[in-house]
Amino acid sequence: MMVELLLIVAFGGSLLTYVLGKLSSRLRNGFALLNALALVIMIGMLYGQEFERSLPFGFLGIQFSIRMNMLSWFFAATILGIGLLAVLYSFRYMKGKERLDYYYFTLLFINASMLGTVVAGDLLSFFIFWEMMSWSTYLLISLRGGGKAIFAGIKYIIMSLVGSLAMLVAIVSLYTAFGTVDIGELAVHMQSASLGLALLVVILFSITFVIINALWPFHTWLPDAHAEAVSPFSAILSAVLVRKGLYGLFLLMYVILGFSFLDRLAVGAISFSNVLAWIGAITIVFAAFRALLQNDSKRILAWSTVGQGGYMVLGVSVATSMGMAGGTFHILNHCIYIALLFFVAGAIEHRTGGIRDLDSLGGLIKKMPVAFVGGLVGIFGLIGLPLTNGFVSKWLIYKSLILEGRPFLAFAAFLGTWGTILYGYKFIHNIFLGQLPDELRDVKRVPFTMAVPIMVLVVLVFLFGVLPGIPLSVVNQVGTYMGFEPLDLNVWGIPSESGTLNVVNLLAAIAVAGFLVWLLFKTLGRSTRVDQSDNYAAGAAIPRGRYGFTREFYAPLYRIVSPYVKDFPDALFLWIADRTKALGGMTRKIYSGYVGSYVMYIVLFLAALVFVQLTWSPW
Amino acid sequence: MVSPVLLIAVPLGLAFAMPLIALISRRLPRFVPLVACAFNLIVAIRLIPTVLSAPVIQRIGGFSPPFCINLFAGPVGVMFAGLIALAGLVIAIYALSYIRTGPTVRYHMLYMLLLVGATGVVLTGDVFNLFVFFEVLCISSYALVAYFGDRNGLEAAAKYLIQGAVGSALLLMGIGLLYGLFGTLNMADIASRIGSVSDISVFVPLALIVSGLGVEAAIFPLNAWLPDAHSSAPSSISAILSGIAIEVGLYAVVRMIFTVFGATSIFMFLLFLGVLTVLMGELCAFAQTNIKRMLAYSSIGQIGLIVFAFAMASTISLAGGLFQLLTHTLSKALLFLAAGYMIHRSGSMEISSLNGMGRRMPLTSLAFSFGAFSIVGLPPFIGFPSKFLIVRSALEKQQTLFTLLLGFVLLGTLVEGAYFFRVVQAIYFKKSGDEPASRSLAPALPLISMLILAVLIIFVGIYPQPVADALSTAASDLLDRAAYIGSVLR
Amino acid sequence: MSFLEDYAYYFGAFGLIFIGLLIMLVKHNLIKVIIGLSILDTGVNLFLISVGYISNGTAPIFCRDDMDPSRMVDPVPQALVLTAIVIGVAVLAMALAIAVRLYQRYGTLDLRKIKELRW
Repeated sequence: MMVELLLIVAFGGSLLTYVLGKLSSRLRNGFALLNALALVIMIGMLYGQEFERSLPFGFLGIQFSIRMNMLSWFFAATILGIGLLAVLYSFRYMKGKERLDYYYFTLLFINASMLGTVVAGDLLSFFIFWEMMSWSTYLLISLRGGGKAIFAGIKYIIMSLVGSLAMLVAIVSLYTAFGTVDIGELAVHMQSASLGLALLVVILFSITFVIINALWPFHTWLPDAHAEAVSPFSAILSAVLVRKGLYGLFLLMYVILGFSFLDRLAVGAISFSNVLAWIGAITIVFAAFRALLQNDSKRILAWSTVGQGGYMVLGVSVATSMGMAGGTFHILNHCIYIALLFFVAGAIEHRTGGIRDLDSLGGLIKKMPVAFVGGLVGIFGLIGLPLTNGFVSKWLIYKSLILEGRPFLAFAAFLGTWGTILYGYKFIHNIFLGQLPDELRDVKRVPFTMAVPIMVLVVLVFLFGVLPGIPLSVVNQVGTYMGFEPLDLNVWGIPSESGTLNVVNLLAAIAVAGFLVWLLFKTLGRSTRVDQSDNYAAGAAIPRGRYGFTREFYAPLYRIVSPYVKDFPDALFLWIADRTKALGGMTRKIYSGYVGSYVMYIVLFLAALVFVQLTWSPW
Repeated sequence: MVSPVLLIAVPLGLAFAMPLIALISRRLPRFVPLVACAFNLIVAIRLIPTVLSAPVIQRIGGFSPPFCINLFAGPVGVMFAGLIALAGLVIAIYALSYIRTGPTVRYHMLYMLLLVGATGVVLTGDVFNLFVFFEVLCISSYALVAYFGDRNGLEAAAKYLIQGAVGSALLLMGIGLLYGLFGTLNMADIASRIGSVSDISVFVPLALIVSGLGVEAAIFPLNAWLPDAHSSAPSSISAILSGIAIEVGLYAVVRMIFTVFGATSIFMFLLFLGVLTVLMGELCAFAQTNIKRMLAYSSIGQIGLIVFAFAMASTISLAGGLFQLLTHTLSKALLFLAAGYMIHRSGSMEISSLNGMGRRMPLTSLAFSFGAFSIVGLPPFIGFPSKFLIVRSALEKQQTLFTLLLGFVLLGTLVEGAYFFRVVQAIYFKKSGDEPASRSLAPALPLISMLILAVLIIFVGIYPQPVADALSTAASDLLDRAAYIGSVLR
Repeated sequence: MSFLEDYAYYFGAFGLIFIGLLIMLVKHNLIKVIIGLSILDTGVNLFLISVGYISNGTAPIFCRDDMDPSRMVDPVPQALVLTAIVIGVAVLAMALAIAVRLYQRYGTLDLRKIKELRW
């Protein structure tokens, strides 16, 4: 009953939050937090259980069922964990804004529907929860109002509608072929499916999951949506919602189809996992360069979400135990540090009165130390520096790519990381380093309830980075559920001959290197502190006041890169939308307003009917 | 047992008694449609269990078919009658406070006649009787479109009338040809003899009747009157025209093709016509800036979807088509009713004037969003099960052609989603212009009617099983010609 | 001549129908279009009557015992036409009423100028 109860609490809680909000805002906040907390505790109690059960009701003759296993548990845990932190974070962030009842209701409702998608035991209820997730997300993206947010919302919902229509067709064709949509039964039936059907289903499902996972070329909704949503919700979007696409891919590739079947879908070098891997690689590189060009704190993070999705897909599509573990672990890690970074960006936005433009920030390190620590750690994780969680998962992905002999893919992954370093540095520098603009003299610290989620996530980044064995054991179970060999593990890493990962050694190495650098600077360094204006400037007058270090960061790089990394898919989709509208404008011209031509249409219709009959006599 | 004649006779009697009732009190006539619709709803609901087992044939004049005019109260007919009564009741509640100016007595009388015409069309078993009820429906809707007597209303009514009259002339010609061929007007009788004449001589009346009824059913390209009429009529009338009138036209087309002609080979033509209608309707709606015109074009798209479903001619597709019809009636009525009060409030039909409506009229906006989500086919609203059934029936054909056409239909759905989501966003997230965001609710009665529709939309969306079961019985009633003929000419 | 005798009415009926449709297609004046509509209706009615017509037939009334049923014209189309005429009159009245109001609002009956509702 636990899972049913989980769903009831999740959906009921969101509705009740709305009702309570009409009574008192404190009551609503308290209840929302309690609800999120209760869900986290409940999912904790479900750890390690595995069952599938049909529900006592259905839909048009299709029995609903729910399932719980490590795969579902893993995703459910990330959803609910981030959900709890986001709710906590929202208290101060959203304070004083309008329509809070609506905000908390929708936030909890989205979480509940995401939870529904991962515990759904049949594809139809999966689809229903998926659609509920889509439209409720659409209702929240534009909450801020204003042209950009509205544009982002409509872009998201249209792309997601394309995806869900594709998925609907896929699900219904499975249903007509096998008479069931239960995931467990489909997994059995699919082994005897015809290749044509399998190909259709795989392509349609992939469209859906690639869209929601924001892989190139369907990434275009993400940067807009993530940048324009309110920050706690951006964190949810980036950390868990887009990863529903990966959950879907796992479900499709490894639960329903299975490896052996996937291999049969290959034609020469073109196989499903190859195509997916290359899409991932393109996504990584493209997103890294696009992120470099951004000047908006949240937009940088949004593009990094696109890119990191590429890493996960790379790991998953390699389909070895190690790649799989890397991909899955990267989902968890990304969810931690991207939520952290969005919380930090949100905190900056909150305290500076909504500034996201990186050109006008700077020097906040002393004003907002907690945000700085959070941002720094988050960027370390994003880059994948040793001792942070991102390192472990990226290491696993690189290693598996190299072991499988995929040098080009590995190179793409490295290239993406270099790009990440550049834009990660830009993010830190332009917000926290440099000179404090005068307008930001009296910025306050991060409020307590916003600092708590940030610190929790900081701790997690290091915890999972230093002791990767703990999360990896869960990841291992996910992999085992999908039919992969478990990796050898100990608490510090992976002690196997194919690729040893030992964080203790790393720790020692880093400590030694750090000591050496410190020693070098201490003994040989001859720095002296000088005044800001006491500088060599080739005879030119040195401006007093602010140095614009943060303006046009990487300007030379922009000039080189920007002509090549235009967002072509985005332009294409916008062009299609534009043309569709023009087409609509053209077609409606036939309703000319002159009634004589309308009578003509009637006569012509009759004539056409007769003509068709006389020419082809079809009836 | 209640007789299906009551479904027609009681409202008709009340409609003509309306001027007399008005003599007693000027306030009384507006409650008459409520009474009549409630009565019809109860009768229809009581009839449904009976007709699900066997259709009720009501003979009029004491002769047995084919020598008399008979009513055929099969599952489809009675369900339609119930739907008409339900929509009529809800919209009548709305009209209690919406229709305040103008010749209100005549409004309510014409409204009743419109419902009588619609009910008659779905219940009759006689071709000429169908024509007569059709004309009752059409003439009252011409008059109702022009109810406010403003420029747009009159222009729309004139154009609607001209096209409708041409359509009914064609219909009458087709009926005349049928009579000339078979010497009978009874649907079952014609159906039983249709095989005895050459195909080409059956084809001419078929073409005439399809084009004649197609005008009222708003099949592309016969639908030029629809956007004008639906956007210029009072909102309650737009709701009933969009929710009932075109569906009834479609029912007549389907009844003619399926039962009377048994013309299976025309389905391919209808299939393409349906897809074309979807695309045309949705594309035109996409480019609209007038909210009511947008809704009207969206009705064209929905009609295309229903035609597409019907033209696939399997039990599931017919059930899906009927389900979509129910979806459209409830959702589009809700959309028009909600839009009506929003327009009333903002004083303009431009979509941009709805900006920020979500704060000014929260409940009405919520109702509008429910309708929009339902029309697009999102779960857990009623549009989802119907879309699911249609997709399922198209894929069960297992032919590339059907899958391809389904792709085009879904493309239409996508465009539909785009413009509906745009409006929902404008309502909730755009800032309204100069007017301060004072909150005001629509009056209670319209809210009650919107609430009824919204509850139905969600309830059937979550629990569609009984409706789907009933509709698949109805679908087999439409498909099974032999049973129809047998039960009438027994 | 029997061909003409049998089919003359049909030629007449369809002639009227085509004339009516043609007027509706080419005339811009609302009143003329309504006249076209009326002619179209008349044509359809004539067509209906001709369906049941028998040359030199009698009325379908058994007033004497020696009436020959095969010589009687079919009564059904006549009943239909009576109904159709009534409906036609109603439509015509409706159309003319709308035309009068339209003229009051627009000051013209030219359908090319009454084009506020389009697209």
